Amino acid sequence: MSVLEVERITKSFGTLKAVDDISFSIEEGVVFGLLGPNGAGKTTTLRMIMNVIIPDSGHISVLGNRDMKIATDYIGYLPEERGLYRKMRVYELLLFLSSIKSMSKKDAKKEIDFWLERIELSEWKKKKIEELSKGMQQKIQFIGTLLHRPKILILDEPFGGLDPINQNLIKDILMELKSKGTTIIFSTHVMESAEKLCEEIFLINKGKQVLYGRLSDIKKKFGKKNVYIEYNGDDEFLKSDHINKYNNYGNAVELQLAKDGDPQKILKEAIKKAQITKFEIMEPSLNEIFLESVKDKDPGGEE
Amino acid sequence: MSKKVVAVIKREYISRAKTKGFIIGTVLFPVILILIFSGIFIVGVLFQPSTRTYHIIDQSGIIFDEFVRIQSDTLKNGKPKYNFIREKVSSEELETLLETLKSKVVNKEIDGYLLIPEDVVQKREVIYSVRNVSDFEEQSSFSRTLSTIVTNIRLTNRGFKAEEIRKEMEQGRVRVTSHQITDKGEVEKSGISSYLLTYILTYVMFLMMMIYGQILMRSVIEEKSQRITETIVSAVRPVELMIGKIIGICGLGLTQLVIFGGFMLGAIYFAEPIFKSFGMTAPEFLDVIRKLHFTAPVFGFMVLFFLLGFIFYSGLYAALGAIVNSEDEGQQFQWPFMIMFMLSYFIMFTVARHPETARAFWVSLIPFFTPMVMFARIAVSDPIIPSGTYLSIVIMSISTVVLIMIVSKIYRVGILMYGKKPSIREALKWIRYH
Repeated sequence: MSVLEVERITKSFGTLKAVDDISFSIEEGVVFGLLGPNGAGKTTTLRMIMNVIIPDSGHISVLGNRDMKIATDYIGYLPEERGLYRKMRVYELLLFLSSIKSMSKKDAKKEIDFWLERIELSEWKKKKIEELSKGMQQKIQFIGTLLHRPKILILDEPFGGLDPINQNLIKDILMELKSKGTTIIFSTHVMESAEKLCEEIFLINKGKQVLYGRLSDIKKKFGKKNVYIEYNGDDEFLKSDHINKYNNYGNAVELQLAKDGDPQKILKEAIKKAQITKFEIMEPSLNEIFLESVKDKDPGGEE
Repeated sequence: MSKKVVAVIKREYISRAKTKGFIIGTVLFPVILILIFSGIFIVGVLFQPSTRTYHIIDQSGIIFDEFVRIQSDTLKNGKPKYNFIREKVSSEELETLLETLKSKVVNKEIDGYLLIPEDVVQKREVIYSVRNVSDFEEQSSFSRTLSTIVTNIRLTNRGFKAEEIRKEMEQGRVRVTSHQITDKGEVEKSGISSYLLTYILTYVMFLMMMIYGQILMRSVIEEKSQRITETIVSAVRPVELMIGKIIGICGLGLTQLVIFGGFMLGAIYFAEPIFKSFGMTAPEFLDVIRKLHFTAPVFGFMVLFFLLGFIFYSGLYAALGAIVNSEDEGQQFQWPFMIMFMLSYFIMFTVARHPETARAFWVSLIPFFTPMVMFARIAVSDPIIPSGTYLSIVIMSISTVVLIMIVSKIYRVGILMYGKKPSIREALKWIRYH
């Protein structure tokens, strides 16, 4: 079942087309990446999904429901522009955040205690937000999006500003939620983290779709395979028709296969005159795909 | 009303009502009021003038004794109000004497002198030389006394007996008391106290609309500048958020107003019996409050017009808060509202004196002015309800709803706009966005 269905949405601000005819659909329990450079239209798309702004044309349905007023209660949203009421106490603030998501007080209290424990901030419950460090505030805001047990979690740059330990903590929580069937949408321009987490991606640039599909399919479709070899001895094998270009470090080389190039043939050649200590066929990184797509594609062109 | 709006209202109200500033301000308000009223009396006692010394040069020789007899008031501490010293001098020495007296006045040895010429009964002119001429009360008191003496002398000269004159003067004195005619009969009420009450109440309303309008604006700016808005509006629609904030902060103002009004009304209706039941006399300031003619209907209208005025102006403050990026910017651009408040207050001064003119009627129907001006007309006319009261409430309510609908569109776009402050024209364009 698709939990989120975006059909041909468009949004303009004055003469600027922020989002131009975008469609995608996300299945339950999928980790989905909404990727693109800054100013590509990610935040506008998310705001339309959250019913903060209304599309000029097109439709959005959440869990098969087009009434967005109700739908937003099923979504947890961590915006990129985020902050909290500085003068409020942690507990009061979380209670407020759950109440505007139509949660009962009794229910909310249980969840707040559970999540504060989980992110190790229980002792800070009675403290004012302004007394917390930036990282702590971010964790508080993160659990604020989870309290009402959303079916869909939308996170805009969730790891920005967190140290590696807390990044890991958040990642673990997300994986737990995913295993319980929560659909997670990441919006980011940091490709490395998206690559590790996302099963499906939607790449947007200048308001238009650039790439959309399963990450593994996209990588296959890009097809451009890289090979990494660590060796001792002769580098004669690099003069091969199977190789498009290479970057030789002396004991290691990164090479890009030619069209129809066969990595097995290269390995056979190499073994003849050199001792191979490591041989790895690498898929193109999402970062490469991203850069190439954004660079090559005429933003008006279809994928 | 949706539960989400209720949640926003509660947050706005409780998070502010719990602050020390609000509690202290609200509880202390009646206390401060008592202090102010007591202060008026304390100051009155402390700054009581001491005995004033005047030299009187009575060239006619027939005025002095009578003048001193009439001007024999004492101060609250029992000492005589005046010390009059008679100067006898020949016309040749007059100039020298005047010089001496003048230097004594300058050196603050005496307060002044009166020069009563020989032909005072015919010319009826006396010179009152004093260091400070601003005490017109004293001047008119001296003038009245001298008039009485001279009139007496003139009447005696015409053959009336002194005894008869005095009797006639006393019996001929007329006292004018002001009554206000209402449909429920006549009410004895002093004009000055109803103006005073009107000025005080309108001023309180002016302050509260301004202060709470600014609180609302700061609250909108906080959400915007701290980047809280997006989190909230992903759950609550912007218009609901705005309405929730307005109601929450309005509730805060109402709380303060009700405590203030309740204290005043309580002091008027219940304080004296309470003091008497303990066998004490009620303190003097209660009398002052009672004389202000602050009635329950006036308070009711005050609450109503505060509500209408606050919601109207808060819509404008919310829109301003949404447009600007920082508190400084907000303070800087609120002058148009200030002008409206000030204008209302100035108009109120005139209208309170002549509440039933056509001009007063029309100006009190203009929504920007209605809260203060219409309320002033009501307060000053109480217990009569002036013409246009209900009409103004209807017009104000309709224009408030229309205004809120318009500004909510500006608000919705503005709260999510970061960066450069838009021009008025750009902000007005937002009204047409969906």
